[in-house]
Amino acid sequence: MDESQNTPSIDLKGRSILVVDDDRVNLKIIGGILRHEGYEITEAASGEQALEVYAEFRPNLVLLDVMMPGIDGFATCRTLKKTYGETCAPVIFVTARSKADDIVMGFDAGGVDYLTKPFRPKEVLARIRTHLSNQLLLEQLSKANAAKDRFLGMCAHDLRNPLSSIRGLAELMSENAIGSLTEEQREIVNTIHGASQSMLQLVNELLDVATIEAGHLKLAKEPTRIADIVNRSIRLSGIEAAKKNTRIEMVNKTKNPMIDVDRNKIRQVVDNLINNAVKYSPRGSLITVKINADETSSGFSVIDNGPGIPDNERHKLFKDYGRLSAQPTGGEKSTGLGLAICRKIVEAHRGTISVENTPGRGCEFVVRLPRFK
Amino acid sequence: MNFGGSILLVDDEAHIRKFISLLLRHLGVKRIFEAKNGTEALEVYQREKADLILLDVNMPVMDGIDTLRGLKKINPDCVVVMLTSLANRQTIDDAVRNGASNYIRKDAPFEEIGRALAETIDTCFEPDAPDPGAAPPP
Repeated sequence: MDESQNTPSIDLKGRSILVVDDDRVNLKIIGGILRHEGYEITEAASGEQALEVYAEFRPNLVLLDVMMPGIDGFATCRTLKKTYGETCAPVIFVTARSKADDIVMGFDAGGVDYLTKPFRPKEVLARIRTHLSNQLLLEQLSKANAAKDRFLGMCAHDLRNPLSSIRGLAELMSENAIGSLTEEQREIVNTIHGASQSMLQLVNELLDVATIEAGHLKLAKEPTRIADIVNRSIRLSGIEAAKKNTRIEMVNKTKNPMIDVDRNKIRQVVDNLINNAVKYSPRGSLITVKINADETSSGFSVIDNGPGIPDNERHKLFKDYGRLSAQPTGGEKSTGLGLAICRKIVEAHRGTISVENTPGRGCEFVVRLPRFK
Repeated sequence: MNFGGSILLVDDEAHIRKFISLLLRHLGVKRIFEAKNGTEALEVYQREKADLILLDVNMPVMDGIDTLRGLKKINPDCVVVMLTSLANRQTIDDAVRNGASNYIRKDAPFEEIGRALAETIDTCFEPDAPDPGAAPPP
């Protein structure tokens, strides 16, 4: 079978190539071969001219002769890479010499490949096709990625707001804000509340991952005491914990050193670890949140009574969608994103997050954050 | 929450207005005005002079920051609290620079929204000052 049938066909017609060579005959030959394939060709007879033409035509690929009077191919390539950076088209060097040194120098200068003269048309076309395909796929990938970000941004508004209204209205109803409810009505309202709450959490977590992955995680750091954040989180987790008759206590023997963190983001980490502890511990447990401090760092650890982390699942723990075999003990939902987000947030603060099983039962999640200087 | 004043609630989304106004009533606020965009907000404010304005950031027609500027032009001392869905530092800074007193995440659990409102009312309406709209002391 013809090998080309195995590669998915990508339409490369009309992709533009800048061919740079001081030898007119060569330009003519290679230009002819490439035009025949449907590529759009621009020519330059020197390095200097190539730089000018590049700026004007912005080709998808550059075929660059090494030996030219004036600035040579390597220098031309280096200038292109320096000027256009990440967005620079791939450069394939054309050289009459096939010395290994030349090839290495070409790659050093930023080239992606090389061709030796005299040309074998099939080789020329195959290599060009490969690099143009890669370049096109990269272009499509970054467009798709931008579309995904836009879509997620849309989710932020179009899903989050209505969901938080549904949740809020259900909460208000269960608080008898519109009059007292029958047992059955209360059950229904609580179901609406629970379902909208878990959807909201899922949407929020997906958005967090997307934001962090896109490199858009911005930290608004300020000096903070970790105990203040922990106290607040314990208060907020109290309702869920009380449902399972679980107690959360804070132990703090530190002098409350300041850490330099984004409060909202670290709050999210604390909330997440405490919620997990409640979620995976049996009813009636005691969860301890310990405030830690040493010379350079301050942080906290959350000690639960859950099943602990099996050794063979440890590697999945802080990864996206890394759900383990342990099941929530009160039918709670889990997206498998929480700990991945925690790790990303902590690492963005140049801190560390780790977990150890405690002797007997349960485990201890430890977060360390750099102290404020 | 002890607040006898009136509140103007501005948001383009009906469900948010429903939720926040129910929450306000639940917290004991008696007089609530609503507007669904910035232009309408300025009109209602001209007419009703609410004591506190809850103002959405993202709105069509006239966005929250422009509306905030308009409100401050009518009354430089008006108390405005921004309603946001994502805590965007830039937007919050913009709002504060233009005279907003505070911001509230409308996607927060309702106890938190209530607490943030109570805090704003405590700071912006000093206890010594006569409570706006409250009956004069006997």
